[in-house]
Amino acid sequence: MFGLDYSWLSDPVYQGWLLRGTLNTIGLALASSAVAVLIGTFGALALSLRIAWLDALIELFVELFRNTPPLLQMLFFYFTLSTIGLRVTDPVTGLSVPLLSAFDCALVSLSFFGGALCIEAFRSGLESLPRSVNEAARSLGYSRWGRFRRIEVPIASRICLPALTNILTNLFKTTSQASVITVPELMYYAGQIYNDTFRTAEVMLLVLLIYVSLVSVLSWGMSRIERALAFPGYGKGH
Amino acid sequence: MNRTNALIELDAVTKSFASFEVLKGISLSVKDGEAVCIIGPSGSGKSTILRCINGLIPIDGGRIRVGEIEVHKLRSEKEMRPLRHRVAMVFQQYNLFPHRTALQNIMMAPVQVLGHDRREVEERAHRLLAKVRLSNKADAYPGQLSGGQQQRVAIARALAMEPQVILFDEVTAALDPETVKEVLTAIRELVDEGLTCILVTHEMKFAREVAERVCFTDHGRIVESGPPAQIFDAPQDPRTREFLGQVL
Repeated sequence: MFGLDYSWLSDPVYQGWLLRGTLNTIGLALASSAVAVLIGTFGALALSLRIAWLDALIELFVELFRNTPPLLQMLFFYFTLSTIGLRVTDPVTGLSVPLLSAFDCALVSLSFFGGALCIEAFRSGLESLPRSVNEAARSLGYSRWGRFRRIEVPIASRICLPALTNILTNLFKTTSQASVITVPELMYYAGQIYNDTFRTAEVMLLVLLIYVSLVSVLSWGMSRIERALAFPGYGKGH
Repeated sequence: MNRTNALIELDAVTKSFASFEVLKGISLSVKDGEAVCIIGPSGSGKSTILRCINGLIPIDGGRIRVGEIEVHKLRSEKEMRPLRHRVAMVFQQYNLFPHRTALQNIMMAPVQVLGHDRREVEERAHRLLAKVRLSNKADAYPGQLSGGQQQRVAIARALAMEPQVILFDEVTAALDPETVKEVLTAIRELVDEGLTCILVTHEMKFAREVAERVCFTDHGRIVESGPPAQIFDAPQDPRTREFLGQVL
């Protein structure tokens, strides 16, 4: 059809590559999403304490990782960290190797990038709560931490969900840039396959479909969560 | 009045926000079981007085005592906890937690803050919902309730803390005229049962009916206080007369 040749897909080697690449992409996306959400939560909590030096530190982190291309961050971690001494001696070969593997570097950089975006999203969610709700919680005897855990986070997280969906879908797609630092994810194997077969269009079309399906599952899941957590008067609640 | 047997006592309380002096020496004592209404023009410091009594706003000078608790000496939220247990507050904008149902709103603090037994608190919450005539709305979210219904849930939430005192901060100011009555009815019952209440209100008719004492505040001072008949029918201070002339 349309002169496309997918006969290479019957080759078990390519099937294995596609499968492994897809699994690695999912793994990298899930792991970096989880760390990013953690960074966002603790960052936003720390910001809500209003400690000047901590605010400055977090702001620096956010500006640094939000305002630089993730690809540049990955290259930085991959090439710089091992050069400036983050190396270990491999117990088997006795060779000095970088402490962080390519996968680790991609994970760290994507987590920081996503984390910086999450901090901003969660902070704005917390700040959108009416001050009066907080006053009511104080008058009922809730401590700072109690208010954060029982009232602010439950409400703010619902307000933030659409923004979080955006961040996580973007993060998922950004994992493809890890192919540049040789992380064997979907994009990396796609390159291997079309270098072998010269079927660039066919490979790209297939990879595109895989990404569309994976990210669709993610955003479908997020909207399910959004609906399940909705309460009347806010967002999707009735 | 014998000051030592007052439940709440404010003595020369001052408070400024930046350069604006909101309270310029408020002295007030409230007996156990008394209902006191605070009336006065906007910005005269009425709501600030309430917020100082339950420690939401720290004061600059003077003393506040509730029972044996010296409010002006409390520094942390943890130290405030016994005070919060004793003094509850109902707000103009209801301030219910939007992510929890009416029943959960009432149960949250007694369970999570006071550590009371969940089953016992649930019974208490149902009893209180019945008291404010909202038994059929236990599972409704605040967003599904009218203003008057939300305010009655807020009253039940305050009562669930089993307080000795409830502070009402213009609780009918945001309500439709037809729902004001249902909220006032709920408050009147509490006063009749002998709960100590301090009410900031613009409902002069209600203040006259329900209060044992009315305080008129203007520019950060209590200008005049006395039984409702005296304040409303024979005000002594010209500022009281002027204010009542405008609102009555």
